[in-house]
Amino acid sequence: MVRGSRVLLLKDGGGGGGNALFKVLSDILVCPLSKQPLRHCPDSRSLVSDAVGVSFPIINGIPCLVPKDGKLLEDEIKLKVDDSSIAKGEG
Amino acid sequence: MGAVTGPALPPSAVRHLHYASWSPSSLPIRCSSFGLPRRPFLFLLRSPPPPRRRLGNNRVRCSAERHALFNRIAPVYDNLNDMLSLGQHRSWKRMCVSWSGAKRGNRVLDLCCGSGDLVFFLSQKVGTEGELMTECKGCIPSGWLIQVYGLDFSSEQLSIASRREDLYWKACYKNIEWIEGDALDLPFSDSYFDAITIGYGLRNLIDRQKAMREIFRVLKPGSKVSILDFNKSTSSLVSLLQEWMIDNVVVPTASEYGLSQEYKYLKTSIAEFLTGKELEKLAKEVGFSEAKHYEIGGGFMGNLVATR
Repeated sequence: MVRGSRVLLLKDGGGGGGNALFKVLSDILVCPLSKQPLRHCPDSRSLVSDAVGVSFPIINGIPCLVPKDGKLLEDEIKLKVDDSSIAKGEG
Repeated sequence: MGAVTGPALPPSAVRHLHYASWSPSSLPIRCSSFGLPRRPFLFLLRSPPPPRRRLGNNRVRCSAERHALFNRIAPVYDNLNDMLSLGQHRSWKRMCVSWSGAKRGNRVLDLCCGSGDLVFFLSQKVGTEGELMTECKGCIPSGWLIQVYGLDFSSEQLSIASRREDLYWKACYKNIEWIEGDALDLPFSDSYFDAITIGYGLRNLIDRQKAMREIFRVLKPGSKVSILDFNKSTSSLVSLLQEWMIDNVVVPTASEYGLSQEYKYLKTSIAEFLTGKELEKLAKEVGFSEAKHYEIGGGFMGNLVATR
């Protein structure tokens, strides 16, 4: 049904359609802290503020741009490095 | 006063009540002989009532407490609004939208959108024929212009808003985008919106001046913000009646849902709010060129209209 299509598109990350919509949103929305442009990161399903080095998650298709919900990019990178070291150690 | 338990409802009625929790206007108000809702309304709850929490002198001091409060009342917020205002809140919200000056093709924002009542009215008002202000014009299906933004800090309220959007789908609703955000730090560029509305939100913000400054920033010059809320009346009679209603109707009704503490905060919240004249003054201080406060709903409600 038409009425559900947009929600389905956003909820499953949407492939091309959903990513395109978030790209549109990243053109429209700005970082709530710096008011600078955001960049959509499809891999982490987030909107990234390069100006302050913070990423904001997109949860169930809804961008979460409350300042306190932002994650520092360097913390995210450290977590990824730790995860991959643990994976190699166990492998 | 007390609610009176009635006979068990037939399954069809229970299903109606269950789905009617999402209905904008179809919820029947079945009252006891004392005018309070009967206990069967408890079927409307999707989960057991939350445990009672002390709110300490009924003051909700910080943003985190308010955030938690609105997450707790989210499941029953719409039903309570319908019952407590006998459906009148929809008329007030339509007036709020009308005063905002929103028209077809506009780009509009509803702050503290909650479960989305004002957003749905705005969506029908502005339609889907606005201008797509982005490079990605060819990338999304045609007609999916986002013209109506609903922003709230409660993920629970936004979740309900999103479900209501699905449940009551109209073609124009594809122009809606829900954003979880902070009204004090808006994620929008300067001079972006043709109209902004807030319904029962400004009173709950920790820093009203900062909120007004952010609204001013993101409004286009010449555009309006329309702010609907309880009226902090300068008339002793209206204030007394308002307090009586809260003590004797609102709180007992909310306690049927296990939310009496959450709604007791309303009286303190109104007492700490600004009068109509004070709201006009605040708007002018922030830089709005015009500000006028209108009393509606017998003086119980008020709507500030300010022009950038």
